[in-house]
Amino acid sequence: MLDAALLRDLRQIVGAEHVACRPSDAEVYSYDGSLAVAKPDAVVFPADTAQTAAVVRLASQAGVAFVPRGFGTNLSGGTIAAHGGLIIGLTRLNRILAIEPAGRYAVVQAGVTNLELQQALAPRGFLFAPDPASQKAATLAGNLAENAGGPHCVKYGVTTNHVLGVTAVLPSGDVVQIGGPALDPPGYDLRGILIGSEGTLAIATEMTVRILPAAESLITMLVVYDDVADAARSVSAIVAAGMTPATLEMMDSAVIHAVEASKPCGYPLDAAAVLIVEVDGPRAGLAQQAERIGQLCLQNGCREVRRAKDAAERDLLWAGRRGAFGSLARLAPSFLVADCTVPRTRLPDALTQVAAIAKRYQLGHSNVFHAGDGNLHPVILFDPRDPDQVQRVHKAGHEIMEACVALGGTISGEHGVGTEKLDGMRLVFSENDLEFQRQLRAAFDPQGLMNPGKLLPPPVAVPSPPEPARGASADDPEWTPSDVAEARDLVRRAYLDRQPVLPLGNGTHAGFGNRGTTVAKPLRSTHLTAVTEYDPATQVIGVQAGLSLAQLQTTLAEYGQWLPLRPPLGQQRTVGGIAALNACGPERLRYGAPRDLLLGLKFISGTGRPISAGGRVMKNVAGYDVTRLLVGSAGTLGFLTELIFRIQSLPASCVAVRGGGTLEQIEAAAGWLLQSKLEPNWIVMLPAGASPGDAGSAPAARGLRWELAAGFEGFRETVEAQVEGCRGGLTQHGLRLGAAEEYPAREGACQKAFEALYQAPFVLRMDLPPQRIVELFSNWRELTCDAELLVDWGCGRLTAGLVDLHADAWPVWLAAAAVLDANVVLEKAPDAFRQDHDVFCPRRADWDLTHKLKLALDPHGIFAPGRLPGRR
Amino acid sequence: MNIEERYDEISHCNRCGFCQVACPIFRATGHEAGVARGRVALLRALIEKRIEWSEELKEPLFNCLLCGACTANCFPGVATADLMVEGRTEYLERVGRQKLHRLLFNHLLPYPKRLRMAARAAGLSLKSGLSNVVGALGLLRAFGRDFPRAQKIVKRLPDQAFRDQVPPGVLEGRGELRIGYFVGCGIDALCPDAARATLGVLRTLGRTVEVLENCCCGLPAMTYGDLAATQAMAEKNLALLDQRQFDAIVTDCSSCASFLKKYPTLFPEGDPRRQAAELQAGRVRDIVQLLPQVPPVPAVKPGEKLIATYHDPCHAVRGQKISREPRDILRSLPGVEYRELPEADWCCGGAGSYAVYHYDLSLQVLDRKLDNLERTGANLLVTSCPACIIHLSFGIHRRGLPVRVCHIAELVSACGEGESLAESGTAQCTAPAGG
Repeated sequence: MLDAALLRDLRQIVGAEHVACRPSDAEVYSYDGSLAVAKPDAVVFPADTAQTAAVVRLASQAGVAFVPRGFGTNLSGGTIAAHGGLIIGLTRLNRILAIEPAGRYAVVQAGVTNLELQQALAPRGFLFAPDPASQKAATLAGNLAENAGGPHCVKYGVTTNHVLGVTAVLPSGDVVQIGGPALDPPGYDLRGILIGSEGTLAIATEMTVRILPAAESLITMLVVYDDVADAARSVSAIVAAGMTPATLEMMDSAVIHAVEASKPCGYPLDAAAVLIVEVDGPRAGLAQQAERIGQLCLQNGCREVRRAKDAAERDLLWAGRRGAFGSLARLAPSFLVADCTVPRTRLPDALTQVAAIAKRYQLGHSNVFHAGDGNLHPVILFDPRDPDQVQRVHKAGHEIMEACVALGGTISGEHGVGTEKLDGMRLVFSENDLEFQRQLRAAFDPQGLMNPGKLLPPPVAVPSPPEPARGASADDPEWTPSDVAEARDLVRRAYLDRQPVLPLGNGTHAGFGNRGTTVAKPLRSTHLTAVTEYDPATQVIGVQAGLSLAQLQTTLAEYGQWLPLRPPLGQQRTVGGIAALNACGPERLRYGAPRDLLLGLKFISGTGRPISAGGRVMKNVAGYDVTRLLVGSAGTLGFLTELIFRIQSLPASCVAVRGGGTLEQIEAAAGWLLQSKLEPNWIVMLPAGASPGDAGSAPAARGLRWELAAGFEGFRETVEAQVEGCRGGLTQHGLRLGAAEEYPAREGACQKAFEALYQAPFVLRMDLPPQRIVELFSNWRELTCDAELLVDWGCGRLTAGLVDLHADAWPVWLAAAAVLDANVVLEKAPDAFRQDHDVFCPRRADWDLTHKLKLALDPHGIFAPGRLPGRR
Repeated sequence: MNIEERYDEISHCNRCGFCQVACPIFRATGHEAGVARGRVALLRALIEKRIEWSEELKEPLFNCLLCGACTANCFPGVATADLMVEGRTEYLERVGRQKLHRLLFNHLLPYPKRLRMAARAAGLSLKSGLSNVVGALGLLRAFGRDFPRAQKIVKRLPDQAFRDQVPPGVLEGRGELRIGYFVGCGIDALCPDAARATLGVLRTLGRTVEVLENCCCGLPAMTYGDLAATQAMAEKNLALLDQRQFDAIVTDCSSCASFLKKYPTLFPEGDPRRQAAELQAGRVRDIVQLLPQVPPVPAVKPGEKLIATYHDPCHAVRGQKISREPRDILRSLPGVEYRELPEADWCCGGAGSYAVYHYDLSLQVLDRKLDNLERTGANLLVTSCPACIIHLSFGIHRRGLPVRVCHIAELVSACGEGESLAESGTAQCTAPAGG
């Protein structure tokens, strides 16, 4: 029970009619979409961020637990008040605040549903890629909290790949703006750690999300099978052939029957399984792709391939898929939905084992799942009014998790841990891993009041690490461990001795960040170069951190695959270094950055413990997203030892299109390109005279002419049609066309420009919303005319090589950044400059959180001290 | 009535939450007790003895519009509206019945003449002793809550109910069928123009058309959980229909049509009344279903531009699965531009007398509807249920929108007579803009 004074204060904040605490209120807020049940003491509905913060502050001062909740569609018990206290309902925060097609982002409040955003974007030809099956009723803040996926994430990625910024109410009641339209704010990837944190670290009240132009064309196919295993094999065959359909969804016979009984959607009742395969993209070449997929399915034993002939037929197929769980409710009063993910090639094994487990416990079951990601949703039917059945269901659920983990998978792909999978966490994480995550949580919520009882199982005694072996000497000028065990010992010794270390790869960016406050001993990964796992069919590779990108690409090229990253100076860099700095080139527009491509990683923590984060499957929401936290942390949180990437087939063709013109013409052309149905892999702007392959003459002499270049990569016929379309568009915007040129996939078309630029003593990077780039050049010409420049228009990133940076020019850059909502970092600067200045700026309120995390996770401050923004 | 008998059905709600997207009340309140999942959870909690019957349940049980949108979005197909009606019955038995309802359901609605008298009284004076009753029927919505402004439109209420103008009895027609015209209370008392238009249409289709002296179909009593009163009214109407044996029983109130079609479900299996009800229910037609047989004629006078849109009454779109016919009719009318109303099938908030008891909530629901209406730019809003016509007209009047509301039969009939729509429409309910 809450005391009367607290209730009175809550009513004062939100209004009496927005506080509900009668027995019937507690009853209707005691459940969500899962099987978990617990009653809150009261439910509060704040109207905005300020009220939410006030409510949280009050609860925190009173020591009362609180749980954020949207529309309560959660499937793991994430939105019930497991320890009582307050539920904070965010349904009144339901406005879409801005839609910026030219910058490819939208700003929304927490309680807007996924579908409402989609409906607002559709008339503008845009969409928000995550599309969970519950999108009708699932709120966007809920999508964020769970790192929601959906049928289309096999191609487009999950929520964490599509959120740019968050207005967050912290457990203290403080409000902090994390990220925003500009990429990669200095400091840790805080939005990355909030996404998938299941409402335990902060309440998102507003979000900036990435939006994408809807594909020009799509083809939806229903593939019918007499055998489930054939369907699973077809999925692997399609992906292995280098195609990435927008969806690869599967339903088995039991689900088909349930759906058809609720609403006839056109599924054949005599099929053992169906696949819904959708391909989307530019019209050119799409029909051939669909044809090839059909062929592969036939080769793998399908009975029939049907194409939806119009939008109505397609909608019907999707209505059935989206309503699958609901339809199953017809068969039994209740069901448990498992959410395991396995490597795609292990799907047939997983299905066999699930069937065996269900049979052993004499329970009805069926399967509906995202086959393309290997994300299974076995559904076990039961009647909760029978205690014996309930017990069998929980045992079966746990065994399914065990079986999938044993196949190399994880316990949850998208529904979250909540209260339902707490036991499963120990199947995938060691006690060390869990303790690291507990420290992380405590850094945000020292009182443990925010959504307690979720996500992390209660602690057991953590074994303390063994005493470091007496191998390497503390007197060595630098440490280069020969294996992971030695690395662990060295870091442990550093922890015990409070010896600062500087994690390094090949040292191309050794001077990144602020100048250290103390001399740190280099700790090199260059002897850790093994490929730990590589199965080309699953398109996943695990490598040790010291392997160079060039070596990695060579390994992959043997199988026609690659890691789609082309960071500046990339070939010499180690994958560990690339991950530590989240380094990438302008092709991020389509392929993403290391933060988007990493499935998991391993590192040695600040206390010398080996920690494993993430996994090796395409979707994974088990625990906090420690992978995202480490990526871009610049070696300040741990020593990376191993990285697990998802990889792709090498594109058959890469062609760059170029056109010259004035800044205004280029702005219009780039804006058009970003909103068009073309799918450029990258868009850059260079001073005219330079080409992406050649940095050219001194900028001052180049006048005000610019060149726009865009790259298209993929199947040859698709690329050709897009190049044609792009040339037409650039001409229409008054640009003078250059020749279209092929370029090599691994190197890309911008390496030489980057190399030239990085020869300058100062390299400055500014991230800003793309639609504000022109403003930078119009208002701060004196800053930009004297530099080697490369403007990544697709991602909103300016990289400038400066011959000199006067102490009085630096504040002008920072002022410009503040006006433009931009982030600035000096990627390279002489020691003398770094001595006097913080190279990350302008200062952001969320740096405090970065510093808290650093303190909690590296308690002796051994990793690269002083390097972080704010010189911590 | 005992809600425990529905335990199995109730337990099929798997709490997916999809009902939240479609529920006009939830979209207005954001409170779980105002959406199917929460309402059904409360029934379940009652059965499982976690909560007790009390006044606290009144809002969750009675603030449901019974529009059925949740069930249309529910894959397990939990019939929340039916469950709410049963819950209301039990609530009234256990927690207490309202006197007003007894007056209404037992003494007024079964007697069409008394009802017409009440309506006249409403037209004459709001202060008459009957105004409570009129209010309970939802008639007061036509005036709005604030009396001074309402007075301006009082005199625009029909002076005479339809069946005072056209006494019940048999009329000759030019068609083939023997038609019984079932006159709903709302149409009779508030929309006599629509009724006259319907009668005109029916006379082109019927050899004979009988204007029936039927009583209330019983839906309002059912809505308030009074099954006995509902059955009594249904029996009365069935007795009337049994004597005649029409080819078709037509009504221009989609709520009546939908409920007449459901008459068999009011009686248990094997009950002889159920058989009689099945025979008659099979003959019931919504006028909208017959209109496609009436040839469209030019509608618009020179210089007039009509942009029409259509609101789906709950009892048409979900109650009878009627959605294509009215749109086809509107699209086929020469000189009328048809524009689809966003969320056309969302309840307008009228819902019988709902708006009287949940005034503020119904206005929030109505606001969403009016926002969508404004988005279409239409100047003519067409529908087929008097409760919708009244509620929509009221909302349009409050906002001062330049939109006329009319029953779809009026539109076709007006076309037939070459009369300008600018001069017709259910003007009784539509005060001049800004009036």
